[in-house]
Amino acid sequence: MKRLLFLILGIFLIMPVHSAMAGGGAGPSKDMMKGEFTMVDASAGTATFIKNGAQEPMILNLPEGMTADAINLDKKVMVTLDSHAGEGVIKDVSVMFLDMNVKRVAALLLIGLIGGLLSGFIGSGGAFVLTPAMMSLGVPGAIAVASNMCHKFPKAMVGAYKRYKYGQADIKLGLVMAVTAIIGVQIGIMIQKYILKHWGNAGSNLYVSTVFVFILVVVGGYVLYDAYKLAKGTGEAKTPKLAQALMKINLPPMMEFKVAKVRISAWVTIPVGLLTGMLAATIAVGGFIGVPGMIYVVGASAVVASATELIIAFIMGAWGSIQWGLAGLIDIRLTLLILAGSLIGVQLGALGTTYVKDHMIKIVMAAVMLIVAVSRGAKVPGYLADVGLRGQLEPQLASLLESVSYWSLIVALASAGLIITTAMVKGMMEARAEERVSRLQEEGVSHG
Amino acid sequence: MEMNNFDKNMSAAAFAEAGEHETAREMLSDPETGQKKVVHPVKKKPVVSMIIFGVISLSLYVGLMMRQDLIMDTFTRGGIYTAWPICTALAFSFIHGAFASNFLSVLGLEAKKH
Repeated sequence: MKRLLFLILGIFLIMPVHSAMAGGGAGPSKDMMKGEFTMVDASAGTATFIKNGAQEPMILNLPEGMTADAINLDKKVMVTLDSHAGEGVIKDVSVMFLDMNVKRVAALLLIGLIGGLLSGFIGSGGAFVLTPAMMSLGVPGAIAVASNMCHKFPKAMVGAYKRYKYGQADIKLGLVMAVTAIIGVQIGIMIQKYILKHWGNAGSNLYVSTVFVFILVVVGGYVLYDAYKLAKGTGEAKTPKLAQALMKINLPPMMEFKVAKVRISAWVTIPVGLLTGMLAATIAVGGFIGVPGMIYVVGASAVVASATELIIAFIMGAWGSIQWGLAGLIDIRLTLLILAGSLIGVQLGALGTTYVKDHMIKIVMAAVMLIVAVSRGAKVPGYLADVGLRGQLEPQLASLLESVSYWSLIVALASAGLIITTAMVKGMMEARAEERVSRLQEEGVSHG
Repeated sequence: MEMNNFDKNMSAAAFAEAGEHETAREMLSDPETGQKKVVHPVKKKPVVSMIIFGVISLSLYVGLMMRQDLIMDTFTRGGIYTAWPICTALAFSFIHGAFASNFLSVLGLEAKKH
């Protein structure tokens, strides 16, 4: 058993080095360059660009429809090249690091706080809304993903520590899941690359969204059904039948997880971890499969599963941050501003779990998953049009779908925040009332 | 000397304030059953550490914003410089996390005791 753990830890240690050397991994694409524009020649349709670290300037071509105004001179920019359009043709230019203003700072603090609350409560969350929210503030996609990743791991660390103190986090289960998930990420990236090669960007977008919507609806729907059953009944969660059956499989190596109170074959936990990683590589939120996987397949309670997910998020987040950091894409100001709110949120969410029943965690999880599925589902018609499976969308419909997609993310975050706060306040008031009653009883005993 | 309930409580409080907790507890225990009364300790709120960590955290944030050009330039060089953003995020999470923890305690938000 110990040997197996060392083996997977060994793989875990080698992997970041390997993928860092390969320059791939979860990092940015190769068609992207960082540097500064020094001159634009509007009449010739070219721009002089000095790549970071290079001495010699290079001449890039402006694509059709791009004017010289789109090029910011003497500012750090990220340039994506359009490899299909020819040599050195610019596809997209974005200013890497935005100026911070009051509105941006306030928005980051607020989303951080609610994202943290969600993360402390259900183990994952925040990332699916933080990245699009940052992008809507004008942050380039790659910087948003990188800065978000760098905020995720310290936040998860603080949350995991708190929930470990409450006796909810299973460190061993977390380590096994994280290491297998990292292997899963590699498999997920390979699948992504295969799809990108054969069906291009539009095909990849369609694949990601279809997987996303399918998994979120199926798993989220089941979690909701289960939570509804529990809420109607006694509210006490039993070990699911599937997990009970799997625990009977006595295939060595057997693993014992003390906090989760589970003894199960490694052949069951490893696929759950792999799938978590594969999903993380595909849709960036591994927790949506990791937590239900730990509940329904491994047999941990919702409280333990969501706490353990924070350990997984910490390890995977740290690994991912190193990848993005090596590419120099982390905007530390964004990272730290989100952390300012999320470190409060994550601890609040963590202590909130001590006041609620197990099914409350499932309700929040299901609500978030289903609303996020709507958000992604709204993008599917557009992607279908991109691959030519349906006619082009009318501009009105396209903008409607775009706003449905964005606002449902905000609704997901807001409703989750509301459910958690209400459940927590109710739980706290009940706990206070109980305490008062027991105090009165004690006094009654000593007087009587 | 026969003491009434009020006297007993007040003198117990006086002993407790002077640091003689055991004497205070004995005074409050029931003479007939000998059972000690459960004294619920009032936890002191970590106001001072909240302020200390809050000030450190805030000054780090101010420092970050004042020197953002230099910091952004150093932190995004890639390679070995990757250690900068990673370590900074960790350091902030310890300091600001400690502030957040104390802040929630001061607000009276604590985990349920089992």
